[in-house]
Amino acid sequence: MNSLLRFLVKNQFVLLFIVLELFSLWLLSNHSYYQRSKFESVARSVSGYTNSKVDEASSYFNLSETNKVLAQENLELRKQLAVLSSKVELLTEVVGDTITDSVYTYQPARIINNSVNKQYNYLTLNKGSNHGVEVEMGVVTNQGVVGIVAGVSPNYSTVISLLNVDLKLSAKLTRTNHYGSLYWEGGNYQEVTLSDIPQHVPLSIGDTVATSGFSSIFPENIPIGIISSYNSKGSNFHTIKVKLFRDFKQLYNVWIVSNKQKDEQDQLEETINNS
Amino acid sequence: MGKGILRYAGLFILLILLQVVVFNNLQLSGYINPYIYVMFILLLPYEISGWLLLGLGLLTGLTVDTFMNTIGMHSSATLFMAFLRPYVLNLFTDREDIDQKGSPSMQVNGLVWFIKYSLVLVFMHHLSLFFIESFAFTGFFHTLWRVILSTLATTAFILILQSLTIKK
Repeated sequence: MNSLLRFLVKNQFVLLFIVLELFSLWLLSNHSYYQRSKFESVARSVSGYTNSKVDEASSYFNLSETNKVLAQENLELRKQLAVLSSKVELLTEVVGDTITDSVYTYQPARIINNSVNKQYNYLTLNKGSNHGVEVEMGVVTNQGVVGIVAGVSPNYSTVISLLNVDLKLSAKLTRTNHYGSLYWEGGNYQEVTLSDIPQHVPLSIGDTVATSGFSSIFPENIPIGIISSYNSKGSNFHTIKVKLFRDFKQLYNVWIVSNKQKDEQDQLEETINNS
Repeated sequence: MGKGILRYAGLFILLILLQVVVFNNLQLSGYINPYIYVMFILLLPYEISGWLLLGLGLLTGLTVDTFMNTIGMHSSATLFMAFLRPYVLNLFTDREDIDQKGSPSMQVNGLVWFIKYSLVLVFMHHLSLFFIESFAFTGFFHTLWRVILSTLATTAFILILQSLTIKK
Protein backbone atom coordinates (compact mmCIF):
# COMPACT_ATOMS: atom_id res chain seq x y z
CA MET A 1 0.00 0.00 0.00
CA ASN A 2 2.77 2.34 1.04
CA SER A 3 4.84 1.64 -2.01
CA LEU A 4 1.79 2.10 -4.22
CA LEU A 5 1.25 5.54 -2.69
CA ARG A 6 4.91 6.37 -3.19
CA PHE A 7 4.68 5.26 -6.79
CA LEU A 8 1.62 7.47 -7.32
CA VAL A 9 3.29 10.52 -5.75
CA LYS A 10 6.51 9.96 -7.62
CA ASN A 11 4.79 9.65 -10.98
CA GLN A 12 1.95 12.08 -10.40
CA PHE A 13 2.93 14.19 -13.40
CA VAL A 14 2.84 11.27 -15.82
CA LEU A 15 -0.34 9.85 -14.28
CA LEU A 16 -2.15 13.18 -14.40
CA PHE A 17 -1.10 13.51 -18.02
CA ILE A 18 -2.49 10.08 -18.85
CA VAL A 19 -5.78 10.81 -17.12
CA LEU A 20 -6.25 14.18 -18.85
CA GLU A 21 -5.17 12.81 -22.22
CA LEU A 22 -7.69 9.98 -21.91
CA PHE A 23 -10.32 12.57 -21.03
CA SER A 24 -9.63 14.64 -24.13
CA LEU A 25 -9.49 11.58 -26.37
CA TRP A 26 -12.85 10.59 -24.90
CA LEU A 27 -14.18 14.02 -25.83
CA LEU A 28 -12.79 13.54 -29.32
CA SER A 29 -14.36 10.13 -29.82
CA ASN A 30 -17.77 11.30 -28.62
CA HIS A 31 -17.71 14.14 -31.07
CA SER A 32 -19.69 12.90 -34.00
CA TYR A 33 -22.03 15.07 -35.87
CA TYR A 34 -25.27 13.39 -34.91
CA GLN A 35 -24.81 13.32 -31.19
CA ARG A 36 -23.77 16.73 -30.01
CA SER A 37 -23.81 17.45 -26.35
CA LYS A 38 -25.33 20.42 -24.57
CA PHE A 39 -21.84 21.74 -23.98
CA GLU A 40 -21.32 22.18 -27.66
CA SER A 41 -24.54 24.03 -28.17
CA VAL A 42 -23.40 26.55 -25.56
CA ALA A 43 -19.97 26.64 -27.15
CA ARG A 44 -21.53 27.30 -30.51
CA SER A 45 -23.42 30.30 -29.19
CA VAL A 46 -20.18 31.78 -27.88
CA SER A 47 -18.01 30.98 -30.87
CA GLY A 48 -20.81 31.89 -33.27
CA TYR A 49 -21.00 35.34 -31.72
CA THR A 50 -17.26 35.97 -32.08
CA ASN A 51 -17.21 34.55 -35.55
CA SER A 52 -20.05 36.80 -36.67
CA LYS A 53 -18.20 39.84 -35.30
CA VAL A 54 -15.05 38.82 -37.14
CA ASP A 55 -17.10 38.24 -40.24
CA GLU A 56 -18.76 41.66 -40.07
CA ALA A 57 -15.34 43.22 -40.26
CA SER A 58 -13.91 40.99 -42.95
CA SER A 59 -17.01 41.01 -45.16
CA TYR A 60 -16.08 44.45 -46.47
CA PHE A 61 -13.04 43.05 -48.20
CA ASN A 62 -15.18 40.67 -50.23
CA LEU A 63 -17.88 43.11 -51.25
CA SER A 64 -16.88 43.49 -54.88
CA GLU A 65 -16.52 39.75 -55.38
CA THR A 66 -19.84 39.15 -53.64
CA ASN A 67 -21.56 41.73 -55.81
CA LYS A 68 -20.27 40.10 -58.94
CA VAL A 69 -21.48 36.68 -57.85
CA LEU A 70 -24.87 38.04 -56.82
CA ALA A 71 -25.33 39.82 -60.10
CA GLN A 72 -24.48 36.64 -61.96
CA GLU A 73 -26.89 34.68 -59.79
CA ASN A 74 -29.64 37.25 -60.37
CA LEU A 75 -29.15 36.99 -64.08
CA GLU A 76 -29.48 33.24 -64.02
CA LEU A 77 -32.51 33.36 -61.76
CA ARG A 78 -34.17 35.82 -64.11
CA LYS A 79 -33.54 33.49 -67.00
CA GLN A 80 -35.03 30.59 -65.07
CA LEU A 81 -37.96 32.71 -64.01
CA ALA A 82 -38.71 33.58 -67.60
CA VAL A 83 -38.62 29.94 -68.63
CA LEU A 84 -40.62 28.73 -65.67
CA SER A 85 -43.31 31.39 -65.79
CA SER A 86 -44.01 30.55 -69.40
CA LYS A 87 -44.29 26.90 -68.38
CA VAL A 88 -46.60 27.70 -65.48
CA GLU A 89 -48.83 29.69 -67.77
CA LEU A 90 -48.99 26.78 -70.11
CA LEU A 91 -49.81 24.40 -67.26
CA THR A 92 -52.57 26.47 -65.71
CA GLU A 93 -54.09 27.04 -69.11
CA VAL A 94 -54.07 23.45 -70.17
CA VAL A 95 -54.59 21.52 -66.93
CA GLY A 96 -55.83 24.17 -64.56
CA ASP A 97 -53.43 22.84 -61.94
CA THR A 98 -53.45 24.68 -58.65
CA ILE A 99 -50.75 22.65 -56.89
CA THR A 100 -47.88 24.48 -58.49
CA ASP A 101 -46.24 25.18 -55.16
CA SER A 102 -42.66 23.90 -55.08
CA VAL A 103 -41.60 21.11 -52.75
CA TYR A 104 -38.37 22.85 -51.81
CA THR A 105 -38.13 26.21 -50.10
CA TYR A 106 -34.99 28.28 -50.00
CA GLN A 107 -33.72 30.63 -47.37
CA PRO A 108 -30.66 32.84 -47.78
CA ALA A 109 -27.85 32.64 -45.21
CA ARG A 110 -24.34 33.94 -44.82
CA ILE A 111 -21.28 31.88 -44.01
CA ILE A 112 -19.57 33.31 -40.97
CA ASN A 113 -16.93 30.66 -40.48
CA ASN A 114 -15.44 28.31 -43.01
CA SER A 115 -12.41 26.13 -43.53
CA VAL A 116 -11.08 24.00 -46.35
CA ASN A 117 -7.77 22.84 -44.99
CA LYS A 118 -8.78 20.16 -42.50
CA GLN A 119 -10.01 16.63 -43.00
CA TYR A 120 -13.29 17.33 -41.22
CA ASN A 121 -14.33 20.77 -42.39
CA TYR A 122 -17.35 22.53 -40.98
CA LEU A 123 -19.01 25.84 -41.78
CA THR A 124 -21.04 28.11 -39.56
CA LEU A 125 -24.07 29.99 -40.88
CA ASN A 126 -25.77 33.04 -39.41
CA LYS A 127 -29.21 31.39 -39.36
CA GLY A 128 -30.44 29.05 -36.65
CA SER A 129 -33.53 27.45 -35.16
CA ASN A 130 -35.10 30.92 -34.72
CA HIS A 131 -35.17 31.16 -38.50
CA GLY A 132 -36.58 27.68 -38.97
CA VAL A 133 -33.32 25.90 -39.73
CA GLU A 134 -33.31 22.25 -38.75
CA VAL A 135 -30.74 19.49 -38.67
CA GLU A 136 -30.33 17.65 -41.99
CA MET A 137 -31.39 20.50 -44.20
CA GLY A 138 -29.25 20.97 -47.30
CA VAL A 139 -27.05 23.97 -48.01
CA VAL A 140 -26.44 24.97 -51.63
CA THR A 141 -25.37 27.78 -53.91
CA ASN A 142 -26.49 28.22 -57.48
CA GLN A 143 -23.29 26.46 -58.52
CA GLY A 144 -23.09 23.54 -56.23
CA VAL A 145 -23.71 21.75 -53.02
CA VAL A 146 -22.10 23.15 -49.88
CA GLY A 147 -23.10 20.67 -47.20
CA ILE A 148 -25.71 19.48 -44.73
CA VAL A 149 -26.79 21.19 -41.52
CA ALA A 150 -25.40 19.22 -38.58
CA GLY A 151 -26.41 21.25 -35.58
CA VAL A 152 -28.41 24.35 -34.75
CA SER A 153 -28.47 26.84 -31.92
CA PRO A 154 -31.04 29.68 -31.78
CA ASN A 155 -29.10 32.00 -34.08
CA TYR A 156 -26.43 29.89 -35.74
CA SER A 157 -26.06 26.57 -37.41
CA THR A 158 -23.09 24.38 -38.19
CA VAL A 159 -22.85 22.65 -41.53
CA ILE A 160 -20.79 19.59 -42.45
CA SER A 161 -19.00 20.80 -45.49
CA LEU A 162 -18.86 18.78 -48.69
CA LEU A 163 -15.14 18.97 -47.90
CA ASN A 164 -15.56 16.65 -44.93
CA VAL A 165 -14.42 13.08 -45.38
CA ASP A 166 -17.49 11.91 -43.46
CA LEU A 167 -20.00 13.28 -45.97
CA LYS A 168 -21.34 11.27 -48.89
CA LEU A 169 -23.89 12.52 -51.40
CA SER A 170 -25.84 10.91 -54.18
CA ALA A 171 -24.87 12.50 -57.49
CA LYS A 172 -25.39 11.72 -61.16
CA LEU A 173 -23.92 12.37 -64.57
CA THR A 174 -26.27 14.85 -66.19
CA ARG A 175 -25.66 13.43 -69.67
CA THR A 176 -26.47 9.78 -68.98
CA ASN A 177 -28.38 10.00 -65.68
CA HIS A 178 -26.24 7.31 -64.04
CA TYR A 179 -25.95 7.94 -60.34
CA GLY A 180 -23.16 7.21 -57.90
CA SER A 181 -21.85 8.41 -54.60
CA LEU A 182 -19.88 11.61 -54.29
CA TYR A 183 -17.37 12.31 -51.53
CA TRP A 184 -14.19 14.17 -50.74
CA GLU A 185 -10.96 12.23 -50.24
CA GLY A 186 -9.30 14.86 -48.12
CA GLY A 187 -6.62 16.13 -50.48
CA ASN A 188 -7.19 18.89 -53.00
CA TYR A 189 -10.11 21.04 -51.86
CA GLN A 190 -11.23 21.78 -55.39
CA GLU A 191 -11.71 18.17 -56.33
CA VAL A 192 -14.14 15.51 -55.13
CA THR A 193 -14.56 11.88 -56.13
CA LEU A 194 -17.54 10.21 -57.76
CA SER A 195 -17.60 6.44 -57.49
CA ASP A 196 -19.98 3.55 -58.23
CA ILE A 197 -20.53 4.54 -61.87
CA PRO A 198 -20.40 1.21 -63.76
CA GLN A 199 -17.68 0.48 -66.34
CA HIS A 200 -19.99 0.37 -69.33
CA VAL A 201 -20.97 4.01 -69.01
CA PRO A 202 -19.02 6.08 -71.54
CA LEU A 203 -17.38 9.07 -69.91
CA SER A 204 -15.68 12.10 -71.27
CA ILE A 205 -13.70 14.76 -69.53
CA GLY A 206 -15.81 17.87 -69.08
CA ASP A 207 -19.11 16.06 -68.42
CA THR A 208 -21.24 17.76 -65.79
CA VAL A 209 -22.05 16.13 -62.46
CA ALA A 210 -25.17 17.22 -60.56
CA THR A 211 -27.21 16.12 -57.56
CA SER A 212 -29.43 13.13 -58.18
CA GLY A 213 -32.37 14.17 -56.05
CA PHE A 214 -32.56 10.67 -54.55
CA SER A 215 -32.02 11.85 -51.01
CA SER A 216 -34.74 13.98 -49.56
CA ILE A 217 -32.18 16.65 -48.70
CA PHE A 218 -31.17 18.16 -52.02
CA PRO A 219 -33.32 18.93 -55.04
CA GLU A 220 -32.40 17.35 -58.34
CA ASN A 221 -30.01 18.87 -60.85
CA ILE A 222 -27.98 21.22 -58.74
CA PRO A 223 -24.72 21.39 -60.70
CA ILE A 224 -21.67 20.30 -58.71
CA GLY A 225 -18.72 20.21 -61.07
CA ILE A 226 -17.19 18.72 -64.18
CA ILE A 227 -15.20 15.55 -64.70
CA SER A 228 -11.51 16.38 -64.68
CA SER A 229 -10.13 12.85 -64.92
CA TYR A 230 -11.20 9.27 -64.45
CA ASN A 231 -9.63 5.93 -63.76
CA SER A 232 -11.18 2.66 -64.79
CA LYS A 233 -8.47 0.17 -63.98
CA GLY A 234 -9.15 -3.09 -62.23
CA SER A 235 -12.70 -2.79 -61.04
CA ASN A 236 -16.24 -2.80 -62.29
CA PHE A 237 -16.67 0.85 -61.49
CA HIS A 238 -15.09 4.08 -62.61
CA THR A 239 -13.37 6.29 -60.09
CA ILE A 240 -14.03 9.80 -61.30
CA LYS A 241 -12.40 13.02 -60.19
CA VAL A 242 -14.79 15.93 -60.29
CA LYS A 243 -13.59 19.51 -60.28
CA LEU A 244 -15.99 21.70 -58.30
CA PHE A 245 -17.61 24.72 -59.93
CA ARG A 246 -17.37 26.86 -56.84
CA ASP A 247 -14.16 27.64 -55.01
CA PHE A 248 -15.00 26.84 -51.39
CA LYS A 249 -12.62 29.51 -50.23
CA GLN A 250 -14.78 32.14 -51.90
CA LEU A 251 -18.10 30.93 -50.55
CA TYR A 252 -20.06 33.64 -48.85
CA ASN A 253 -23.76 33.66 -49.55
CA VAL A 254 -25.60 30.35 -49.58
CA TRP A 255 -29.13 28.99 -49.57
CA ILE A 256 -30.55 26.66 -46.97
CA VAL A 257 -32.89 24.19 -48.66
CA SER A 258 -35.76 22.61 -46.84
CA ASN A 259 -37.95 19.93 -48.30
CA LYS A 260 -41.54 20.29 -47.20
CA GLN A 261 -42.27 16.66 -47.94
CA LYS A 262 -39.07 15.28 -46.41
CA ASP A 263 -40.86 13.68 -43.45
CA GLU A 264 -43.37 12.05 -45.72
CA GLN A 265 -40.65 10.61 -47.97
CA ASP A 266 -38.52 9.44 -45.05
CA GLN A 267 -41.46 7.78 -43.33
CA LEU A 268 -42.51 5.99 -46.45
CA GLU A 269 -38.98 4.73 -47.07
CA GLU A 270 -38.73 3.65 -43.45
CA THR A 271 -41.82 1.50 -43.63
CA ILE A 272 -40.45 -0.29 -46.67
CA ASN A 273 -37.10 -0.88 -45.02
CA ASN A 274 -38.74 -2.23 -41.88
CA SER A 275 -41.14 -4.64 -43.48
CA MET B 1 2.75 37.14 -8.32
CA GLY B 2 -0.66 38.72 -8.99
CA LYS B 3 0.90 40.78 -11.73
CA GLY B 4 2.34 37.64 -13.31
CA ILE B 5 -1.07 35.97 -13.39
CA LEU B 6 -2.61 39.04 -15.00
CA ARG B 7 0.16 39.13 -17.61
CA TYR B 8 -0.38 35.48 -18.50
CA ALA B 9 -4.16 35.93 -18.62
CA GLY B 10 -3.63 38.82 -21.02
CA LEU B 11 -1.22 36.75 -23.12
CA PHE B 12 -3.73 33.88 -23.18
CA ILE B 13 -6.57 36.08 -24.43
CA LEU B 14 -4.34 37.82 -26.94
CA LEU B 15 -3.02 34.57 -28.40
CA ILE B 16 -6.45 32.92 -28.62
CA LEU B 17 -7.88 36.01 -30.31
CA LEU B 18 -4.95 36.18 -32.73
CA GLN B 19 -5.44 32.50 -33.53
CA VAL B 20 -9.20 32.70 -34.03
CA VAL B 21 -9.42 36.09 -35.72
CA VAL B 22 -6.28 36.14 -37.83
CA PHE B 23 -4.50 32.81 -38.19
CA ASN B 24 -7.56 30.59 -38.67
CA ASN B 25 -8.52 32.76 -41.62
CA LEU B 26 -5.02 32.72 -43.01
CA GLN B 27 -4.97 29.88 -45.47
CA LEU B 28 -1.59 29.63 -47.09
CA SER B 29 -2.22 26.71 -49.45
CA GLY B 30 -3.77 23.58 -48.02
CA TYR B 31 -0.55 22.56 -46.35
CA ILE B 32 0.30 25.36 -43.97
CA ASN B 33 -1.87 25.91 -40.91
CA PRO B 34 0.01 27.91 -38.28
CA TYR B 35 -1.25 27.35 -34.74
CA ILE B 36 0.48 30.11 -32.83
CA TYR B 37 -1.59 29.75 -29.66
CA VAL B 38 0.87 27.06 -28.48
CA MET B 39 3.24 29.94 -27.71
CA PHE B 40 1.32 30.28 -24.44
CA ILE B 41 2.64 26.91 -23.28
CA LEU B 42 6.17 27.77 -24.46
CA LEU B 43 6.30 30.96 -22.41
CA LEU B 44 4.98 29.66 -19.07
CA PRO B 45 7.44 30.18 -16.18
CA TYR B 46 10.09 27.58 -15.31
CA GLU B 47 8.88 26.99 -11.78
CA ILE B 48 5.28 26.19 -12.76
CA SER B 49 3.98 23.06 -11.06
CA GLY B 50 3.19 19.97 -13.08
CA TRP B 51 -0.55 19.86 -12.51
CA LEU B 52 -0.93 23.55 -13.40
CA LEU B 53 1.10 23.10 -16.58
CA LEU B 54 -1.08 20.17 -17.69
CA GLY B 55 -4.26 21.98 -16.63
CA LEU B 56 -3.34 25.04 -18.66
CA GLY B 57 -2.44 22.85 -21.62
CA LEU B 58 -5.88 21.26 -21.53
CA LEU B 59 -7.61 24.62 -21.03
CA THR B 60 -5.78 26.25 -23.94
CA GLY B 61 -6.61 23.34 -26.24
CA LEU B 62 -10.25 23.24 -25.17
CA THR B 63 -10.65 26.98 -25.77
CA VAL B 64 -9.28 26.70 -29.28
CA ASP B 65 -11.42 23.60 -29.87
CA THR B 66 -14.52 25.55 -28.89
CA PHE B 67 -13.86 28.08 -31.60
CA MET B 68 -12.88 25.59 -34.24
CA ASN B 69 -15.54 23.00 -33.59
CA THR B 70 -13.03 20.25 -33.06
CA ILE B 71 -13.71 19.21 -29.45
CA GLY B 72 -10.84 17.10 -28.13
CA MET B 73 -8.44 17.51 -31.04
CA HIS B 74 -6.46 20.57 -29.98
CA SER B 75 -6.85 19.69 -26.30
CA SER B 76 -5.14 16.33 -26.65
CA ALA B 77 -2.35 17.76 -28.82
CA THR B 78 -1.71 20.75 -26.55
CA LEU B 79 -1.85 18.54 -23.47
CA PHE B 80 0.76 16.27 -25.03
CA MET B 81 2.96 19.27 -25.73
CA ALA B 82 2.60 20.55 -22.15
CA PHE B 83 3.55 17.09 -20.92
CA LEU B 84 6.74 17.10 -23.00
CA ARG B 85 7.77 20.62 -22.01
CA PRO B 86 9.67 19.80 -18.80
CA TYR B 87 11.64 17.05 -20.53
CA VAL B 88 12.57 19.29 -23.45
CA LEU B 89 13.58 22.04 -21.02
CA ASN B 90 15.75 19.55 -19.14
CA LEU B 91 17.34 18.43 -22.36
CA PHE B 92 18.23 21.89 -23.59
CA THR B 93 19.02 23.77 -20.43
CA ASP B 94 22.05 23.74 -18.13
CA ARG B 95 21.47 23.01 -14.47
CA GLU B 96 22.04 26.62 -13.48
CA ASP B 97 19.49 27.96 -15.91
CA ILE B 98 16.76 25.78 -14.49
CA ASP B 99 17.13 27.42 -11.11
CA GLN B 100 16.55 30.69 -12.84
CA LYS B 101 13.35 32.55 -12.17
CA GLY B 102 11.23 33.76 -15.04
CA SER B 103 10.25 32.07 -18.24
CA PRO B 104 11.94 30.88 -21.41
CA SER B 105 12.44 33.78 -23.79
CA MET B 106 14.52 34.86 -26.72
CA GLN B 107 16.36 37.63 -24.84
CA VAL B 108 17.47 35.55 -21.91
CA ASN B 109 18.21 32.25 -23.61
CA GLY B 110 19.35 33.49 -26.98
CA LEU B 111 17.89 33.13 -30.45
CA VAL B 112 19.33 29.73 -31.32
CA TRP B 113 18.23 28.18 -28.04
CA PHE B 114 14.73 29.56 -28.40
CA ILE B 115 14.41 28.34 -31.99
CA LYS B 116 15.50 24.84 -30.97
CA TYR B 117 13.15 24.81 -27.99
CA SER B 118 10.15 26.07 -30.02
CA LEU B 119 10.83 23.84 -33.01
CA VAL B 120 10.85 20.64 -30.97
CA LEU B 121 7.70 21.39 -28.98
CA VAL B 122 5.77 22.89 -31.90
CA PHE B 123 6.71 19.89 -34.02
CA MET B 124 5.46 17.45 -31.39
CA HIS B 125 2.22 19.43 -31.06
CA HIS B 126 1.60 19.58 -34.80
CA LEU B 127 2.58 15.95 -35.26
CA SER B 128 -0.03 14.74 -32.79
CA LEU B 129 -2.60 17.30 -33.97
CA PHE B 130 -2.44 16.49 -37.67
CA PHE B 131 -2.34 12.75 -37.13
CA ILE B 132 -5.29 12.87 -34.74
CA GLU B 133 -7.07 14.98 -37.33
CA SER B 134 -6.56 12.61 -40.23
CA PHE B 135 -7.06 9.70 -37.81
CA ALA B 136 -5.21 7.25 -40.00
CA PHE B 137 -1.79 6.53 -41.33
CA THR B 138 -3.05 6.45 -44.88
CA GLY B 139 -1.45 9.35 -46.67
CA PHE B 140 1.31 9.28 -44.06
CA PHE B 141 3.70 11.42 -46.08
CA HIS B 142 0.99 13.87 -47.05
CA THR B 143 0.23 14.45 -43.37
CA LEU B 144 3.91 14.52 -42.43
CA TRP B 145 4.54 17.15 -45.06
CA ARG B 146 1.72 19.25 -43.61
CA VAL B 147 3.24 18.81 -40.14
CA ILE B 148 6.69 19.94 -41.24
CA LEU B 149 5.55 22.96 -43.23
CA SER B 150 3.12 24.08 -40.54
CA THR B 151 5.76 23.63 -37.83
CA LEU B 152 8.11 25.93 -39.72
CA ALA B 153 5.36 28.50 -40.25
CA THR B 154 4.22 28.42 -36.63
CA THR B 155 7.77 28.73 -35.31
CA ALA B 156 8.45 31.64 -37.63
CA PHE B 157 5.33 33.47 -36.44
CA ILE B 158 6.19 32.76 -32.80
CA LEU B 159 9.67 34.25 -33.32
CA ILE B 160 8.15 37.34 -34.93
CA LEU B 161 5.70 37.75 -32.05
CA GLN B 162 8.53 37.32 -29.53
CA SER B 163 10.71 39.94 -31.16
CA LEU B 164 7.75 42.33 -31.24
CA THR B 165 7.27 42.04 -27.48
CA ILE B 166 10.97 42.54 -26.74
CA LYS B 167 11.03 46.07 -28.10
CA LYS B 168 8.48 47.23 -25.56
